[in-house]
Amino acid sequence: MESFFSRHRNVLVLLAVLLAQIIGLAVQVRRPARRAGGAQPNRVGGTVASAGGSGDGGGVMLLRLWAAGLVTPPERLFHALNRGVVGVWTGYLDLVHLQQQNAQMQKTIDRLRLEQAMLEEDARQGERLQALMHFSQGYPGRTLPAQVIGTSGNLQSHLLYLDKGSADGLRTDMAVISADGIVGKIRDVFPHTAQVLMINDQTSGAGVILEKTRIRGILRGDANGQTEVVGILADSRIQPGEAVLTAGGDQIFPRGLPVGTVTRVVRDPDRSAFIDVILRPAAALDRLDEVLVLTDLQSEMPPAMQKDMAQSQSEQGAAASAELARELARRKAAEEMAERLPGLTQPGATTANGAPGSNSATGSNGTPPPAPRPIPTLHPDRFTPGYDPNSGSSSTPTEPTGDAPAASGSGKPQKRSQP
Amino acid sequence: MSATDYRRELDIRRYPMAVYVLVPLAALVLQAWLPRILGRFAYFDLPLLVVLYFSLIRRHPIHGTLLGAVLGVLQDGLTQGAIGIHGVANTVCGFLAASLGVRFVVENALLRVAMNFVFTLLAELLVVFVTTGVLGLEMHWNLLTQVLVAAGNAVIGLVLFPLLDRLQSRN
Repeated sequence: MESFFSRHRNVLVLLAVLLAQIIGLAVQVRRPARRAGGAQPNRVGGTVASAGGSGDGGGVMLLRLWAAGLVTPPERLFHALNRGVVGVWTGYLDLVHLQQQNAQMQKTIDRLRLEQAMLEEDARQGERLQALMHFSQGYPGRTLPAQVIGTSGNLQSHLLYLDKGSADGLRTDMAVISADGIVGKIRDVFPHTAQVLMINDQTSGAGVILEKTRIRGILRGDANGQTEVVGILADSRIQPGEAVLTAGGDQIFPRGLPVGTVTRVVRDPDRSAFIDVILRPAAALDRLDEVLVLTDLQSEMPPAMQKDMAQSQSEQGAAASAELARELARRKAAEEMAERLPGLTQPGATTANGAPGSNSATGSNGTPPPAPRPIPTLHPDRFTPGYDPNSGSSSTPTEPTGDAPAASGSGKPQKRSQP
Repeated sequence: MSATDYRRELDIRRYPMAVYVLVPLAALVLQAWLPRILGRFAYFDLPLLVVLYFSLIRRHPIHGTLLGAVLGVLQDGLTQGAIGIHGVANTVCGFLAASLGVRFVVENALLRVAMNFVFTLLAELLVVFVTTGVLGLEMHWNLLTQVLVAAGNAVIGLVLFPLLDRLQSRN
């Protein structure tokens, strides 16, 4: 027996290590399925991206913490060294002031581009005034900038590591964006680092909407790291070049943020009635240096945005007040004209503002009043217009008819109020 | 020098303890950091390359097995996937590479390129097999990508292995 173990020691160790890992895998795959009640099939890693966080067990979480703790400090060092070298070149050797000004202006442009995207989406819904009041609903109130310090190092796993963690206020499922578009969401948070699941990962998911056709779908990544929108029935209106925005229903990304642009449409290989819309992401997912984490989705605009909005409103307010003055002058002139034509108004008629007897040249809705008709004659004679000497009575318009009532609106002829 | 003497001379090659710690750690860090620079063209698997190198050089299957398991598990720890998928793949590759190193002298550069290519492809296919076949999880994969990763490892190994050879200490 002893010779058996010593002879096959290598193979036995291999089998023991493999068995231990497979048991560990089985436990990990089983645990999330139990928690989720089997509602969603497992994907890579058995932890489908969900609003509830990573769903890892304590032991797995500890292993991830060790791995991150082992790798991220040297990564941080590499990142700092890289930034230092690049910073010395760009900040001191290569057109010092021009570079700094350019960087400042680029930041301003990026911020304004983000604001513009928010405003345009509201304008398309035709709720300009209401949207101004509730502009901040569904949009980020606070953001936290973070540096990208590393990746998962695996082509099947599109993850980023940030230099901020739970000590900086980050939590799982916070949205991560750049100035160009959305990047992903925070999957795991460690004390001083955080793991971001990018939108081009196979396990990611986000609700999106096509800008023109207003078709909704689910954003995810494919095996090649491309982003695609799935779950869409074949529709010939979807054309390359159409922008894709966040739909805002997933409680992670605010609506209206740029996601990408349609590059091509392919048929879903698994479901013939559906198509996959391949996107070019708006954010440069493979070249990210800095990102913004949306730490709070409260309905409060950032100070810079409030300032821009106030400036825009004051400029628009001057033009609006001039237009209002011209409109008031027109109404006043119309009322004066109406006072000079008292016969056009019937007694007891009310104006648009409810004041009886006051004359108005325009209707309540701004349309001109109907043309006056002659009052029907009670005792027609030969001088009455339309008098027929043969019949001895006048014809229209002095005689009211059933299907064409008089201008007063009633079937009875009315007396004239003023001679 | 006879083949036996050559093998014996190779057998007494050892590395400083710092090399055993720092080289795998550097491989892990670079594997996580370099994709930031190279973007989607990061077709390599440095931790696996380190496992293959030490397994081939040390010629000890148990060491290769354990080194593959540890580095694979750490690789998995950096992903959102289940812990152990890469661990299984690297364990098997480490064991096989060490077993091969016991029987053959793998000093030829061309042979190293071929072995790196084959073992990397095997590891990639094992990852797919464990994920889809053993665990029954959904995973889309592209054979071309796996081949590119294997080719990348083969080329990097051509440069990396001689560099690591220089770190060994002769008694």
